[in-house]
Amino acid sequence: MTKLLIEKELKNILLSPKFVATFLVCSILILTSVYIGIQEYHNAVTQFEANQQIARQDIEQASNWNRVRNIAHRAPSPMQVFVSGLHFDIGRLSGISDFQDIKLIRSPYSDETLFAIFRFIDFAFIVQVVLSLFAILFTYDAINGERENGTLKLTFANSVSRAQYLISKFVGIWLGLIVPLLIPILIGLLLIMILDVPVSGTEWISIGSFIGLSVLYITFFIGVGILVSSLTRKSSLSFLLLLVIWIGGVLILPRMSIMAAGQLVPVQSVAQLESKQEAFRRARWDQYSSQLSQKWRARSEEMSGMTNEERQAYRDDKEWEWLEEDDAARKQVQIDITDNNRKLIEETDNRKKIQEQLAFNLARISPASSFRLAAMNLAGTDIDMKNRYEESMRAYRDDFVEYTEQKQAESGNQGGFRINVSSDSGVKIDFGRDDQTLDTSGMPQYTAPVVTAGMAVSSSILDFGLMGIFIIIIFGAAFLAFLRYDMR
Amino acid sequence: MDTMNETIKQAPLLEARNLTKVYEDGVKALDNLDLQVLPGEIYAMLGGNGAGKTTTINIFLDFIQPTSGQAFINGINANEEPLEAKTNIAFVSENVQLYPNFTAIQNVDFFVRLGGRHNYSRSDYETALNRVGLQSQAFDKKLKDFSKGMRQKCGIAIAILKDSPAILLDEPTSGLDPKAGKEFIRLIGELRDEGKGILMSTHDIFRAKEIANHVGILNNGILVAQKTQAELKGVNLETLYVEYMAGYMDEAEPSLVNNLSEA
Ligand SMILES: Nc1ncnc2c1ncn2[C@@H]1O[C@H](COP(=O)(O)OP(=O)(O)OP(=O)(O)O)[C@@H](O)[C@H]1O
Ligand SMILES: [Mg+2]
Repeated sequence: MTKLLIEKELKNILLSPKFVATFLVCSILILTSVYIGIQEYHNAVTQFEANQQIARQDIEQASNWNRVRNIAHRAPSPMQVFVSGLHFDIGRLSGISDFQDIKLIRSPYSDETLFAIFRFIDFAFIVQVVLSLFAILFTYDAINGERENGTLKLTFANSVSRAQYLISKFVGIWLGLIVPLLIPILIGLLLIMILDVPVSGTEWISIGSFIGLSVLYITFFIGVGILVSSLTRKSSLSFLLLLVIWIGGVLILPRMSIMAAGQLVPVQSVAQLESKQEAFRRARWDQYSSQLSQKWRARSEEMSGMTNEERQAYRDDKEWEWLEEDDAARKQVQIDITDNNRKLIEETDNRKKIQEQLAFNLARISPASSFRLAAMNLAGTDIDMKNRYEESMRAYRDDFVEYTEQKQAESGNQGGFRINVSSDSGVKIDFGRDDQTLDTSGMPQYTAPVVTAGMAVSSSILDFGLMGIFIIIIFGAAFLAFLRYDMR
Repeated sequence: MDTMNETIKQAPLLEARNLTKVYEDGVKALDNLDLQVLPGEIYAMLGGNGAGKTTTINIFLDFIQPTSGQAFINGINANEEPLEAKTNIAFVSENVQLYPNFTAIQNVDFFVRLGGRHNYSRSDYETALNRVGLQSQAFDKKLKDFSKGMRQKCGIAIAILKDSPAILLDEPTSGLDPKAGKEFIRLIGELRDEGKGILMSTHDIFRAKEIANHVGILNNGILVAQKTQAELKGVNLETLYVEYMAGYMDEAEPSLVNNLSEA
């Protein structure tokens, strides 16, 4: 009986014009997106390799190890084909040197602003926005449509249980929507292989998990459609309601949670932070200078009552000590200011992390955000990507600086330039080895931070769980609603 | 009641016992309805719009719960064991609606199998559709182009093929052309002769008198009159009906009605 009902549901879907439209639209969208994504990826790889080459040449042509400027580039990942996430918004490169902090600059969109206007539509976007809409289109009249049609009465004039009917309805629609979607998805994966995108084993696991997540997400919306359809008598009403729910869940809720988090955990702006740093710096120097004058007052007091000679002798004796003392105090000021700056930045960063976490957790009320966050986590194009890259670049910077210092020492050059002043040759400025290229063999190479399958999956496990819970709740609710549904 | 002796011999296929339905808004659609349909019998429910005919049928189908009283199908309580009860019943609504994207044959096939009959072949479906008078060119046409009467015929074919002991018909002849209507009456006569118990609501007094073994007249949820075919012989049912509906008569004075109509 269930099989018969599922068969009918499937046949009904396959024969309906909306099925053909959905299938065509989805296939075209998915395949175009994957194809363009692959092209984008290949372009990014070409650019990445060229930039690396240039950076290398720049180093080799530097006159001196001390003057070397290195640049680390963010490597393109095949995952950005499916989930571009923040890939286009985060800087592609950072300078690597001991005197500047790591900062990713020049995002793909800042370089190609035109593309930023019509952002790249990735597979995750298609699932999140387009397919969820289609899921609603397939389900808004699942129950009330059959009632309006009169077929519900005729069906239930037979020995059919409501549970059986609802399950068949769900399975039928699920098969009718998901299975056809798997066709363009599989073709997309085939494109990935044919067009030489180097996907690692880890990435295949991520892609598989991502497709699984997409299926769960669409399943959720099928459930929502069936629920609303069994809470209403008219399909026109359920369509309207579902549209409102969809707009709220997919478009509004994620943004509202970000704003709410901003209100609940305020984080100071960069300007505020800088003015705090400046205020501390000023106060600290003021303190230093008043301490200094106090000190000198004390010193001259020590000398009061001395004769001029005694005073001179005392001063000659103490001079070095005083100089060192003052110097230490000045150094301490520098250290304090640097420490305070770091502390303030750290505090802001921590608060920012709390805000971020709150925003994400609030956003997870909507499965659309849950889906998006998990997709980005799986693809490694999440908000942490920036941190991961900056951290690994910082580690690389340490290696690199150590290497250049060693090289510098080997070249017998103490750094900077040396000014020799001698009576016979006059002033000579020595930059070290001027006209040879530097030997960069053995120079540490920057490698992108590794995201293991375990990391990707474990960071999205929460969202998988949430999605499962959402689905169970929605189906429970749909079940209860349908048990009470008036068939007439 | 004069059917008492038969009742003892044969269990009724359809039975309403003190069936009362008060809707949520306080409308009393049925008031202590009692009726029985035995195997091989047709029971015609007459009554104006809003008399409670559809309400009765909906209770038998468990689409609504009675406020009090019981409905039995083949001895099974229709509201307590609806799944079991519904294996014994076929239903044709006043406006049969089928899946518009399916052909006539596909629709019939689905609903007949849903009714638990799995071993029919296409030629069985064609035979049934021929029997209800659907033109054979329409067998493989999608239902969305069907007229109301054509859909009605498909609905009847489904009921025939389901081959259940009891049949519920809610104004089944509405939308049928006179020829088809006549054909239909002949058809349910055949079904009755096969031993089915048929409960039919209708506005067609003449056909009711022609075919029904029992005629019941409902007025505002109350069964104001119940006549056997024998009792109706020579009675002008139309006059009787109109007078009951107008409230001139009540069950206390049926002889007066008989006299009036025979005059
Ligand atoms: N869902 C409902 N809620 C409230 N009242 C209802 C409901 N359904 C029917 N009624 C009322 O119950 C009464 C009986 O209605 P019913 O549909 O059974 O009449 P009927 O005999 O089938 O009429 P018709 O010949 O027009 O089909 C009417 O007064 C109607 O308004
Ligand atoms: Mg009615």
